[in-house]
Amino acid sequence: MSWPVFVLIPIALIAFVSGQLFLKRAMESSRFKGFRDAKVITFLGCGIFSMTIHFFVTLGLLGHLDLSYVYPFQGLSVIIISLAAAIVLREKLNLRLTLGALLISAGVVLVSMS
Amino acid sequence: MRERPSGLANPWLLLGFEIVCVLVYELLQKRGASETANLSHVWSWTGITALASPLTWLAMVIMIISLLSWLYVLRYIPLSIAFPLSRAVDVLIPLSCWIVLGEHISARRWGGIALVVIGLMLTAKPVARLEEKL
Repeated sequence: MSWPVFVLIPIALIAFVSGQLFLKRAMESSRFKGFRDAKVITFLGCGIFSMTIHFFVTLGLLGHLDLSYVYPFQGLSVIIISLAAAIVLREKLNLRLTLGALLISAGVVLVSMS
Repeated sequence: MRERPSGLANPWLLLGFEIVCVLVYELLQKRGASETANLSHVWSWTGITALASPLTWLAMVIMIISLLSWLYVLRYIPLSIAFPLSRAVDVLIPLSCWIVLGEHISARRWGGIALVVIGLMLTAKPVARLEEKL
């Protein structure tokens, strides 16, 4: 396995997680400030930019690796996003939600590896 | 989850709609890519040849609809609940391939499906309780 894989897989994951966080922040702010607010536009732009990076990095990875190798890493995004939402967005994350996210992550990894 | 719209604008309904959209466009993408994989050996790896199939274009339209639904869902539902629930699609895709396309599902994949279903039930239970209170 070449070194770009070990760099690109975390980049794809980080871009996806941060993209979701930016989009969530944008959409939550839009409820109170509308879509013309500078903060909402900035968050939305950052979200779309992050998701675009994720899309192209994933395409690049799929050009060199099997889907069954790349996709399980996407499964990890469930637990990472749940934790990031609790830390960055201050969302309430109890034991049940954490366990649920862990099981879904593990299940997605198993489904995509087989 | 304050002052949520009801009826067709209910974010939970839109989350379900988004999951169905993802399921449909993933299946259309797969069909479109398979139909056009032999058009050009040089370009097929880029995915560009898939654009020759109308199914791919239909998939792209549904993908945009699903993104808009997802953005709407994010307006009202916490990300730590909406995102895990949206992964129901990882169960629906292999199940629909099994039911519609007659594809084989291995024991390991059934195990994964079971874990996702239990995880979804754990995530959805507090939501159901909250809905009952409201």
